[in-house]
Amino acid sequence: MDLLTLRESYQRQRIMLCFNGPISRSLIEEIGNALRNYLNGQPTPPSSAMDVFAVYIEMTQNIRHYARTRQYSEEQATATIAVARDDADHYLISAGNLVEIEDGQRLVEVVNSLAVLDASELKKAYKQQLRRPRDEAATSGAGLGLLDMARKSSRPLVPALQPLPSGQGFFSLTATI
Amino acid sequence: MTHDLNIPGSQSTPAIQADWQAGSLCMQGDSYPENSYELFNQVIGWTERFLADATHPLTLQLELVYLNTSSVKAMMDIFDLLEEAHLDGREVRVIWRFDDRNERIGELAEEFREDCTFDFAITPMRVSV
Repeated sequence: MDLLTLRESYQRQRIMLCFNGPISRSLIEEIGNALRNYLNGQPTPPSSAMDVFAVYIEMTQNIRHYARTRQYSEEQATATIAVARDDADHYLISAGNLVEIEDGQRLVEVVNSLAVLDASELKKAYKQQLRRPRDEAATSGAGLGLLDMARKSSRPLVPALQPLPSGQGFFSLTATI
Repeated sequence: MTHDLNIPGSQSTPAIQADWQAGSLCMQGDSYPENSYELFNQVIGWTERFLADATHPLTLQLELVYLNTSSVKAMMDIFDLLEEAHLDGREVRVIWRFDDRNERIGELAEEFREDCTFDFAITPMRVSV
């Protein structure tokens, strides 16, 4: 293992928290707790700290929800999560996971369709999604969480989809707070 | 048979107390369980029974902090029950207290209030640390 290269890569990208592996319900809480404690020690306004935490929760819960829907094994249901700072000291929250390539393509389209909406259009879409019947909303998948993240992010959410040799894809999403 | 609820809070779920006699439903803390309805179904059920069987007023006292979208959806179901009862002439109200250093909570409460016509107070307060 080349930990020094790993460490230098984290430092170069200003990654303050990173996780890669199978993500359980309790692990989401523990990492979230660590993230909150870290943010509380920074000169970050409580509202921004809560936005970072909120985006982290929605991303990781979406990943678990997706892996359950697709009945992925523990090995397939791994997540890669990173929280970093950019040059303007914004927080960047990224999470990625294994997806079926067509699901990934659909997600990229949904995320890109949100990028053109302004704040009031996003709010309207969010409230409409909130009002959809529970069963319908469940099968449509991730809609409310994505809208919530898009509303909190100061820049449009950035999706990425990379094909894997297995025929599946690695989907990732980045929000800016 | 008891009509009351007393659910202790956890890291990701709020503490909940429902008092039938007093006509009060109180919740404090964060709410971000993966499936919020596992928790909130009993609260929704209690609210439905209260509004159907009792005749005295209902007050919802909230000191909720962070809600994930799954919890927001469940809370909206509760507010919808209150709205329906209010339109039927029942006396219902909400008091939502929040730490004034975090305006996100006030904004969240405000978005719920937009869809309600009953008495809905959003009260900033200073929580000592």
